[in-house]
Amino acid sequence: MRRLWAWGALFLGLLYFVLPLIGMTEFSLKMRRGEYSFDAYAKVLGDPRFQETFSYSVAMALFTIAFGVLLVVPTAYWVRLKVPRARPWIEFVTLLPLVIPAIVIVFGYIRLYNTSSWLPLTGTATGTNVLLMFGYATLALPYMYRAVDTGLRTIDVATLTEAAQSLGAGWGTILARIILPNVLVAVLSGAFLTFAIVIGEFTMAALLNRPAFGPYMQLLGANRAYEPAALAVISFSITWLCMGLIQIVSRLAPKPPSQPN
Amino acid sequence: MSESFLSIRSVRKSFGATTVVQDFNLEVAPGEFVSFLGPSGCGKTTVLRMVAGFETPTSGAIVVAGKDVTRLRPNQRNIGMVFQAYALFPNLTVAQNVGFGLKVAGMGRADIDARVKEMLALIKLPEFGDRYPYQLSGGQQQRVALARALAPKPKLLLLDEPLSALDAKVRVSLRDEIRLIQKNLGITTIFVTHDQEEALSISDRIVVMYGGKAEQVGAPFEIYNRPQSKFVANFVGTLNVLEGTVSDAAAGKVALASGEIALPGHLGGARNGDAVSLALRPEAIALGQRAGADTRLAGKIADVHFLGSVIRVKVAVGESIVSLDTFNSPSAPPPEIGQPTQISFSASDLLVLS
Repeated sequence: MRRLWAWGALFLGLLYFVLPLIGMTEFSLKMRRGEYSFDAYAKVLGDPRFQETFSYSVAMALFTIAFGVLLVVPTAYWVRLKVPRARPWIEFVTLLPLVIPAIVIVFGYIRLYNTSSWLPLTGTATGTNVLLMFGYATLALPYMYRAVDTGLRTIDVATLTEAAQSLGAGWGTILARIILPNVLVAVLSGAFLTFAIVIGEFTMAALLNRPAFGPYMQLLGANRAYEPAALAVISFSITWLCMGLIQIVSRLAPKPPSQPN
Repeated sequence: MSESFLSIRSVRKSFGATTVVQDFNLEVAPGEFVSFLGPSGCGKTTVLRMVAGFETPTSGAIVVAGKDVTRLRPNQRNIGMVFQAYALFPNLTVAQNVGFGLKVAGMGRADIDARVKEMLALIKLPEFGDRYPYQLSGGQQQRVALARALAPKPKLLLLDEPLSALDAKVRVSLRDEIRLIQKNLGITTIFVTHDQEEALSISDRIVVMYGGKAEQVGAPFEIYNRPQSKFVANFVGTLNVLEGTVSDAAAGKVALASGEIALPGHLGGARNGDAVSLALRPEAIALGQRAGADTRLAGKIADVHFLGSVIRVKVAVGESIVSLDTFNSPSAPPPEIGQPTQISFSASDLLVLS
């Protein structure tokens, strides 16, 4: 009886989640009257603004991932190795982006880095892109830090570091050849989450006036009927692809050696 | 001793208000195998980590091959280290692990391959180069760790309880293998262990540590047979301690609860009435009368432990319990508990503990 309830609850949950998606997908296929077609998808994919905004967001996501890895991996490593007592504080700081709305962060950026400030980053497109990348990295920080920290927990950071040091390795070699390869799966998990966040982000890109995919989706949604549904399906597919890739790379992770008791 | 290769001079290490190593001095000759033996928390690993460069001494100096390395970073010292937890890099194959130090040193590919091959042959795992650490047993991993530490031809080899995680059989065979490799290469080695049997069987000299200090430094025979303190006597091997009072200092006589014994020339500066602790190894005592034994004490069998080839018998002598070992003989049953007996030994085997 208990199993029946469990299956019933699962079915209802799936229905709640899947039904809107089925409805949206079905609607996106109804652009041609009386029959199903991929017209809406063809229109979206053929739109030069789609290509422009999508490739912009992909590029921004890649830069954000690179910046995030360079910031988070050495930080999480150093905290685990040298200042383990600071871990709760670092975790608290990395969680802040979850409770501070993106609009607050972006207004803070605009106020600090406007054209009349001492560092006028918003004065140029490149400066604004850099600012946006920092913003994205901040939004992705809770996920990236947690993923890397969990990866570091699976290896004996201190002993591996000492073993590498005794063999003549410096900090750069240790990070690049020992630590990073051993947390690569965790880093990739964080990277895919970052990618999904950046692709769908609207607030920061819109307020910094950059041609990103999020504002394009909003713009299309406000003016067209079928294309926004197709775009939403595409966007969901990208996110799910990222989640699928996380699962795949997790299974490819190098196994830790047997440890002494 | 020939000119020292490793010199640890008045080294002290404090963590905050706690001093874990105090005024530690040691000279190690080239090619010598020295073990640091002591209980947990005695400071042996801290001294080793200071030699490796993972800890900086609060005061004192560490000199390797005539060069003061006290302030050098670990990666600048050229000291190989093997860890208790193996510490093989999980993302690298056995060959890549062994060649890691060589690659870091900028050695060419062909030279690295040749040296890795040589090292894998040395540890008798020549076919294991392509395997990953998780595909090896604990003993194999530790041998690879040894090969990795030796590959860059370090000046000094440090072994931090490398056998404690292994099962008994592997431990003994790897112990002998380590010693053989060390002798063949002639590399100066420091070995940290809390296992006295390991230290006694493998070392040229043993440093027995307690409370952050070297209690005694000496060859295994000397440490076992002539312990200089109560701690060393108790920690190394099994020891029977008989408490007594000096009854005639000039004649070397000590009164025990179970009788009086004479230790001519043994009592040093003790005076009449002084309390003394006398120690005796189980193998120096015989049940009944042994030929050549000059001292006999009456007692009662208190306990019998059958250990296979050996039977450990505990005899109540006065208020003391004395342990002794006899060989098992299929034709003679072990003594019965409660049975009156006699123990005999040579007074010259008694150690007077300070």
